[in-house]
Amino acid sequence: MKQTGPLLFGFVIGMIMFLQYFIPQPPFTVAYSLVLDWKQVVFGVSLILGVLSLLRFHGLRIRGRVSGWAYSVVAIVGFALVVGAAILQGTETGGYPWFFRTIQSPMQSTMFSLLAFFVASASYRAFRARTVHAALLLAAGVIVMLGRVPVGEFLAFSLGDQRISIPAISTWILDVPNLAAKRGILIGVGLGMTATALKILLGIERTYLGKSS
Amino acid sequence: MNGNERQPGGWIDRLTRIDRRIIFLGVAIAVATPVLVPMGLPVKPTRESIDFFNAIDTLQAGDVIVFSFDYGADVRAELDPMSVAIWQHCFEKDLRIVALTLYPDGVGIAEQVMGPIAEQFGKEYGVDYVFLGYNADWSGTMLRMGESFRKTYPVDQYGRSTAEIPLLDHADRFADTPLLISLASSAYAEWWVTYVGGKFGQKIVTGNTAIQAVLIYPFYQSGQVLGFLGGLKGASEYEALTGRPGAATRGMDSQSTGHVLMVLFILLGNLAYFAPRRRRGSSGTGRTA
Amino acid sequence: MDTISTWIAALLTLAIFSFLYRENPIYRFAEHLLVGVSAGYYLVQYFYSAVYKKLWVPVFQEGQWALLPGGILGLLLLLRLHRRTAWLSRYAIAFYVAAWSGYLIPSILQAQVLTQMRGTVVGPYEGTGMWDYLSSWMLLAGVVSILVYFYFSQEHKGVIRGVSKIGITFLMIGFGASFGYTIMGRITLLVGRFQFLFYDWLHLGTR
Repeated sequence: MKQTGPLLFGFVIGMIMFLQYFIPQPPFTVAYSLVLDWKQVVFGVSLILGVLSLLRFHGLRIRGRVSGWAYSVVAIVGFALVVGAAILQGTETGGYPWFFRTIQSPMQSTMFSLLAFFVASASYRAFRARTVHAALLLAAGVIVMLGRVPVGEFLAFSLGDQRISIPAISTWILDVPNLAAKRGILIGVGLGMTATALKILLGIERTYLGKSS
Repeated sequence: MNGNERQPGGWIDRLTRIDRRIIFLGVAIAVATPVLVPMGLPVKPTRESIDFFNAIDTLQAGDVIVFSFDYGADVRAELDPMSVAIWQHCFEKDLRIVALTLYPDGVGIAEQVMGPIAEQFGKEYGVDYVFLGYNADWSGTMLRMGESFRKTYPVDQYGRSTAEIPLLDHADRFADTPLLISLASSAYAEWWVTYVGGKFGQKIVTGNTAIQAVLIYPFYQSGQVLGFLGGLKGASEYEALTGRPGAATRGMDSQSTGHVLMVLFILLGNLAYFAPRRRRGSSGTGRTA
Repeated sequence: MDTISTWIAALLTLAIFSFLYRENPIYRFAEHLLVGVSAGYYLVQYFYSAVYKKLWVPVFQEGQWALLPGGILGLLLLLRLHRRTAWLSRYAIAFYVAAWSGYLIPSILQAQVLTQMRGTVVGPYEGTGMWDYLSSWMLLAGVVSILVYFYFSQEHKGVIRGVSKIGITFLMIGFGASFGYTIMGRITLLVGRFQFLFYDWLHLGTR
């Protein structure tokens, strides 16, 4: 029951969803709609579980007085203020949108903007054209970088009586070799996902259930 | 000592050991300077941006479209300019919009974009546009909306029953909407194509972050996506096409200087790496005299 | 935003940027504040969307009792928190994973495999002229060689090895394009922050 029950249950649900694609008639359509509605609640609860786990992590750090526990207090206080504002004032006006506009959005944007600096440092220190393939990669990257900004329009050379600009080469790289690469990966990943999904439906793949007791 | 051998502590050595904070400072100066002193470099629209623009521009007044804010606060710099330009274009054409988001922080973003633009164009909530809000399960949401927007969202983001929203009397599923626009920072744009484009035949255009845009080319070439915008460049192209230059157009100057600096870093870094090796190679066996 | 809010946002932005010099208590304070505020914001949205909109309103206000099993499955998921009852959460997990797998198979095959294959063979590179014609064949050669490269059930030797090498070449160019676009994306994020600091905070220009 602890392992077989969930697998059987999953098989039935999965087959309903699979067959509905080919038989869009009752009772499959009715079951399909119900499963989709239930799924939204289950997924939402799983996300709530994630947030609760985060709070538990910081709570344990405070209780154990782990090094840097004061910062965990900051995290918990921030959490409490936002949730409190939502409960007391609602989510449309007041503290809840203010926290998003003033604290979360600017800081989240800034956190990710740090990557610009790190990618520059990596470009200088680590990106080496040690092999032919690495040189190809860097060359394509450089051409695309220059071709996708306005300054690239001023970079061109003549081939016979034709003027070839960096943006034109960049466009060709994106439309042909890049497209081939991404499509090859897409097809490969698509086939892999199909195989994995089949294994899940048939109960061959069970790791998502965790260890059996 | 062989005169061809590299002297220790030479400028090449110093170049390879430069403090990364100097590199950071260089990036900051290169990107910040055009923000303060604009250069006004011209923006030339690409084929995919023109197709995106035409997909919206060929719609008729009164048509209802779906707009999904599929991004979070981390990439607002790339996608907010697109959102603003698109909403302005849509309201200018008197299109009606059913908006939603697949990100929880998309709620705050959507409210900051929709509200001021709706006010600017005198649009009424519930009649000209509606914000269905955030649903936790993105794949279930995409599929369920194909049957009924109202059943997917019994209430809108503000707790109002969707049965009472007049706009949804005209459009309650994808069959009623000639276009879906997804502005995505992750693979959601591809999943809209996979689930909604594939199953319901919905016409789709996407706005993507630069990192995602490079992955959309296969879908664009196969016709599954009618057009797409890629990153800040795409946003600036759209602003140029709509005749409303804004934050994206201003940002392209900094984008240009930033890219030139990155290319210089790559070339310089490789020069610093290969130059000593070439010199060792040209000195023959490298034995001292 | 009003002036005080703008100043708070600007100072927190600079606090995060201080990490570039070195890690410091101001940065760590800002980082943990972000973690806490984000967790609170997300929890409210998750609860509102999953519990209120999809369970409370339809079931208890509109009487759609057929949707109650979704709530029961959600409760089963929460039992994961206790060691003795954790095994019951497998039903909820199996439900979600299997449901997703079920409609994934035909969707992926249709949109990401068959349509993409058709686009490679039937939909050549748009345009006229010899170069476009060559490009469409190059596209086909690229996709096929990459798929051969990903075929690991057979040892890569002889013809397969040769074709795989062509595939790797296409992959490297594709990764180079991704690299270029990644740089573009990262720079844009920085541009956005500088626009905020210079235009919105210090009023040194307009967007």
